[in-house]
Amino acid sequence: MSAWRQVGLNYINYSNIAAKVLRRSLKPELRAEAMKRDESHVRITPWADGRPAHLKQAAAKIKVCFE
Amino acid sequence: MLGRVAPGVCGQAVAVVNHQQNRNMATLKAISIRLKSVKNIQKITQSMKMVSAAKYTRAERELKAARPYGEGAVQFYERAEVAAPEDDKKELYIAMTSDRGLCGAVHTGVSKVIRNRLSEPGAENIKVICVGDKSRGILQRLYGKHIISVANEIGRLPPTFQDAAKLAAAVLTSGYEFASGKIIYNKFKSVVSYAQSDLPLYSQKAVESAPKLAIYDSLDADVIQSYMEFSLASMLFYAMKEGACSEQSSRMTAMDNASKNAGEMIDKLTLTFNRTRQAVITRELIEIISGAAALD
Repeated sequence: MSAWRQVGLNYINYSNIAAKVLRRSLKPELRAEAMKRDESHVRITPWADGRPAHLKQAAAKIKVCFE
Repeated sequence: MLGRVAPGVCGQAVAVVNHQQNRNMATLKAISIRLKSVKNIQKITQSMKMVSAAKYTRAERELKAARPYGEGAVQFYERAEVAAPEDDKKELYIAMTSDRGLCGAVHTGVSKVIRNRLSEPGAENIKVICVGDKSRGILQRLYGKHIISVANEIGRLPPTFQDAAKLAAAVLTSGYEFASGKIIYNKFKSVVSYAQSDLPLYSQKAVESAPKLAIYDSLDADVIQSYMEFSLASMLFYAMKEGACSEQSSRMTAMDNASKNAGEMIDKLTLTFNRTRQAVITRELIEIISGAAALD
C-alpha cells in the first residue's frame, strides 16, 4: 500500500495535492491562468430523512481532505 | 367639474359620464404602464440571452477539453464488461443540475428520470445525490428520504475539476456502500438540443469481478481502488461540463423565445394603446361638437 493511502488520503486528494504543487511551480505568466482552475465553490450538505443532517461532522471531513 | 356647477338632478348623470371618462383615461394609463413593464422585461431577457450566449461559447470550448475524461472512464467499463452484481441491489443516482433556473426544461428533465426510477418497485435500495438546488427542490418533497447529499453553489461559475473532486470525495465519504449507480445529466448535442443521458458507476467489487478485466495489464486491488476514485471524479467533471453547456444553450433559446414573446406583446399593447387613445379623442370631439350644437 502506498504511503499516502496509509495516511488516510485517497487518490483524489493525492492527485489534487500533486496538481496544486505543479500549479504553484509554473512560471508566473502561466500560473495566473492555472490558479483559476484551483478554485472550488461547491458546498456539500449531507441529508438524512428528507432534511439536512449532521452537518459539521461530514463537512469537516470533506474540508480536511482539501486543506 | 360640471357636477360642481350644476348640482342636483343631473349630478348623477354627470358623475357617470365623468366616471366613464376617468376609466378610459385610466385604461390608457394602465396600458402605458403595462407597455413599459413589458418593454423592461424584454430588455432583461435580451441581456440575459447575450450573457448566456457568451457563457455558452466558453462552456462549449471547455466541454471539448473535458470529453476525454468521461469517455475514457466509460470505455474502461465497456471494455472490461463491468456489470452490476446480482445480489447487491444498492444503487446510487447522482442528479446533475444547477442552482439557476430560467433555462427551459434542463433541470426538470434530469429530475424526471430519477423520479420515474424512484416510483418503480425496488426504490427502497436507491439513494440520490442532488447536485444543484433545482433537482433538490423538485425531488425534496416526495422523495426527500432518498436524498443523502445535496451540493449547491453550482452554475454561477463554470465547473472546475476541483468541484468534481470535492463531490467525488463527498460520494466516497458518504458512508453509502452502493453496488452500482448512475450519473444522470444532460448531454449536449447542439445549440438547440440536449438529451438526458447517464454515466455508469460501479463499486470496486463489481469491477474486480468483471469478466474481461484480464485485458488490462498489471492490475491489483490498490491500482483499481485508485483508478475507481479518479474515474469517479473525472466522470463527475465530465457530466458537470455537459450539464453546464446544455444549460447555457437552453437558457439562450429560452431567453430568445421570451424576448420574442415580449416583442409580440409589445406590438399588441401598442395597437390597443393607440386605438384607445383614438377612441378617447373621438369621444371628446363628439362631446364638444354635440355640446356646441346644443347651445345653438
